[in-house]
Amino acid sequence: MPVFRFSNIRIAGISSVIPKQVIKTESYKGLFGSEDVDKFMQMTGISETRRTTEFQTASDMGYTAAQRLLSEKGIDKNDIGLLIFGTTSGDYRRPGSSFIVHKRLDLPVDCAVFDINLGCSSLVYGFQVAASMMQNSDIKKAILIVGDTAGKTTYPKDKASIMLVGETSVAILLEKTEEIEPVTGLLRSDGNGYRYLMVPAGGYRNLNASHEPEIYHDGIERTLHHSVMQGTSVFTFTITDVPKLIKDYWTLTQTSVDDYDCFAFHQANGLILQQIAKKLKIPVEKMPLTLSKFGNTSGASSALTLCDRYGNAPVEDINVMFNGFGVGLSWGVFSVKINTKDILPIIEDDSIFEEGIIRSASEL
Amino acid sequence: MYDKVIEIMSGIRPDIDFMQEHKLMDEGLLDSFDLVSLISELNDEFNIAIRVTELKPENFNSAAALVELIKRLQSS
Repeated sequence: MPVFRFSNIRIAGISSVIPKQVIKTESYKGLFGSEDVDKFMQMTGISETRRTTEFQTASDMGYTAAQRLLSEKGIDKNDIGLLIFGTTSGDYRRPGSSFIVHKRLDLPVDCAVFDINLGCSSLVYGFQVAASMMQNSDIKKAILIVGDTAGKTTYPKDKASIMLVGETSVAILLEKTEEIEPVTGLLRSDGNGYRYLMVPAGGYRNLNASHEPEIYHDGIERTLHHSVMQGTSVFTFTITDVPKLIKDYWTLTQTSVDDYDCFAFHQANGLILQQIAKKLKIPVEKMPLTLSKFGNTSGASSALTLCDRYGNAPVEDINVMFNGFGVGLSWGVFSVKINTKDILPIIEDDSIFEEGIIRSASEL
Repeated sequence: MYDKVIEIMSGIRPDIDFMQEHKLMDEGLLDSFDLVSLISELNDEFNIAIRVTELKPENFNSAAALVELIKRLQSS
């Protein structure tokens, strides 16, 4: 079982950026009908989401979030020895978005930089990869960025997904320290569920995939270039395997629900989180929700939710359990002590890396 | 058990006569939102865990099929 233990790594800052555009769930009533939209809102708890503009990407928001961390925490950019970007919404097929952020932040060449291709579990995976690399190197500070813009690959008439997805990026500053309790993490995967959440085209398996809309098995129209979700399978996996993961984690760490101040869980949808909380007997006040205003924002959702709750909170140390689960299938958990002064309030930003928009060969 | 299953199903979709319908999945009468609600309530009510491998149309086509599924899960 992939169990990770770190004795000298802490989260020294979390910064979240959301786009300015607000999409009200009720605005879909004309397209999908009042009954279906009301049912969706009741089950998911999603009243509105945030969406990026046409050329705005996860790396734009990630850059802003990371820049803010460096600035507000007074970090010398030359001290950053590692930059990881967890996303399924890269700016390009190649290079990875981490390199765009590396350039924009003007980080040193003495810095390890790469992307992790994961969605809703990218934060829990990214943290454990970053911490592992730090523990086994002389890297003193690292930045983990997590973000997705899943709305861009969701078919506009896909009533199963278009009302669900929100967009955001978060940046997390990790640093070495001798003053914190050991951190434990646990990761799991199941490739048998690779079809449960996917965008079938756009990769190298079928370079000439059709762009024509088709009616899928669930009666919904999409193209192969849009995301498709087997919602019932995802739901069933989540409400069984995620609680099991947490229970195994509690056994492993000899802790229980009482040892945590906050359960920063991936904001999948209201019904899923309700089921997980019920199975684990997590009090509602310990599991903050931001679904109503941000929707399902993929891997960044747990940190975004933390910023929403603690961004302006009184200073205190809190024990936080992070949990993520999704595309792959992939799921994981870790817990850390964080001081709330290191959790920054959410900001809105629609700035774009104009140089990165390449419309013709003449621009290269 | 059958009556309780009918009660749960009718609570989710009052517009369907679950005592008469035997092709709920084959005829696409239940959507994914109905199914996840149904799975949640059945798991809670009967203390079972319906897994992905049980998500076959034949298990969800009728109330009687669901009763058989629940009994199988309870005895396994």
